[in-house]
Amino acid sequence: MSTPTAAAPAAPTRPGEENRTDARGALRRTRQRRRIRALAVPVVLLSVAALLALLTLCFGSVRLSLDQVLGSLLGIRDNGAVDFIVRDLAGPQVRAALCVGLALGAAGTIFQQLLRNPLASPDFVGISAGASAAAVAGIAVPAFAGASLPALAFVGGLVTAAVMYLLAWRDGITGYRFVLIGIGTAAFSTGIVGYLLTRTSLTEARAALHWLTGSIGQAGDAENDVLLVALIVFVPFIPVLQRMLRTVEMGDDTARGLGVRMEPTRLALIAVGVLLTSLATAVAGPIAFVALVAGPVADRLLGSARGGIVAAGAVGALLCLVADYVAQYLLPVEVPTGVVTGAVGAPYLLWLIATTNRRGMGG
Amino acid sequence: MTLTESPATPRLAARDLSLGYDDRVVVDSLDLDVLDGRVTAIVGANACGKSTLLRGLARLLRPSAGEVLLDGTPILDRGSREVARILGLLPQTPVAPDGITVADLVSRGRHPHQGWFRQWSTRDETAVADALAATDTVELVDRPLHALSGGQRQRVWIAMALAQETDLLLLDEPTTYLDISHQVDLLRLLRALNRATGRTIVTVLHDLNLACRYSDHLIVMSAGRILAEGPPADVVTADVVEAAFGLPCVVVPDPVAGTPMVVPAGD
Repeated sequence: MSTPTAAAPAAPTRPGEENRTDARGALRRTRQRRRIRALAVPVVLLSVAALLALLTLCFGSVRLSLDQVLGSLLGIRDNGAVDFIVRDLAGPQVRAALCVGLALGAAGTIFQQLLRNPLASPDFVGISAGASAAAVAGIAVPAFAGASLPALAFVGGLVTAAVMYLLAWRDGITGYRFVLIGIGTAAFSTGIVGYLLTRTSLTEARAALHWLTGSIGQAGDAENDVLLVALIVFVPFIPVLQRMLRTVEMGDDTARGLGVRMEPTRLALIAVGVLLTSLATAVAGPIAFVALVAGPVADRLLGSARGGIVAAGAVGALLCLVADYVAQYLLPVEVPTGVVTGAVGAPYLLWLIATTNRRGMGG
Repeated sequence: MTLTESPATPRLAARDLSLGYDDRVVVDSLDLDVLDGRVTAIVGANACGKSTLLRGLARLLRPSAGEVLLDGTPILDRGSREVARILGLLPQTPVAPDGITVADLVSRGRHPHQGWFRQWSTRDETAVADALAATDTVELVDRPLHALSGGQRQRVWIAMALAQETDLLLLDEPTTYLDISHQVDLLRLLRALNRATGRTIVTVLHDLNLACRYSDHLIVMSAGRILAEGPPADVVTADVVEAAFGLPCVVVPDPVAGTPMVVPAGD
């Protein structure tokens, strides 16, 4: 290749010095822009989520001033009535919305990048469906009557994922096979749910349907605490997971060419995604579409820094927070959170299906 | 990029190598020494096993028998990252994540040189900047990959492989989907990189005439075996081409470079 600057006889074997400097400058500028965006977007999103969380506390069933809410949260003021609303009534629900959203958003983007498919969020590849089947079994099957629904849902999600992994295994896992088997598993689980529902009484069926729609705040403090602890434990691993995703999303051949050991990497990423999804589902039921939407929305905001796990989690948290508020206070009747996310998510899904394969990204 | 090994011990070699998918044998007990510091082209008819051989050499396929040796050690016995610092690979149809920019993609070539937490060094910056300059893709750094033309995109992929700074570079049909002028550009780029840095390049190519023109060493495969290998001028004869491709032909010297040129015989 003859570049204009390569004429310098001193360094005939290297790109011209001027060219190198240009390249270095251009690279540094673009990386700098990317780094700023990668940092600013999640920080802004998390701040907005925190602010919104405070606002929902102010404009809940009882009007409170920001001063009262902050005073109670920070333990500065002592006011029994305000403390009761903020700490016991609305607070845990807001916290649950944030945690469920963070978990679903993070799990969604991990799955989408790992499986290289915007449709491959955990709620579509059968994990939420498996959790649902187990939870409905808890309501409908007398033998499970004593078990806690969140625990059943959590175990159901994990077992489903393990079964999917084993079924998809053939000298390793390919993303495509995993997605197809996931869709099959989801259909199978939905069938089980349908069968179980036919065997329940009307009250049980109503309880089951409420759970199946997904509702933030239907779990107790213990489950919420488990989810919060899991999220905190997950934080230090984010750089590692992010680095794994950066290679895995290049496809198996390129990633292996770059020295990635695919099977352990893929297994680790699937495990994290499944854990987060199962925990979130255990707390709130299968809240539709949050995991599917959060990653792509975050990517829009991130631009060249696309793929950020924290940003996707923050978008998920915002979605859950807003959906929960709308479901509780803005609609004429109070509905489960999943109804709101479903109403917003379904059109997005249609748009996604309509546009995805045109870009040749479906596989 | 120094070539310390003597020619007697090639850095990359295959010994009695058999490769296949399920029960189907595609490459059959093949022995091969890759010439260090040269451009080697692997050619052959469709389904002759040329891409499979390259995948085997790049440790993407586990041999059903025999082994691939990198610096004398079975390649699968060595650490995956360690191999990735010696041997780079450009797959036939590499996939890029949606919306990825050129700078981001090329930077990912540095992966085997980075640790879990030490993610970006001056060394990385130099390697990526050099790779961009060498492939003439500096002006593209901010562009998303999917917005580029086929020829630009392929140069970017090569930049990523170069940023990996490996002594050996394997490419699987890098000229697929490119028009003739971009094919020639790309092969010239590969040869220039080889001449400038002494990198060993092994590439699977479809076009026999371009392979003759731009490679130092030609491997002609047929039915999973090596039919002939050597400098293009020695290897490419009407008999070999007919045996490998089933095409009756006349071989004449390329009017520009004098390398063999295959012209189909008959009407």
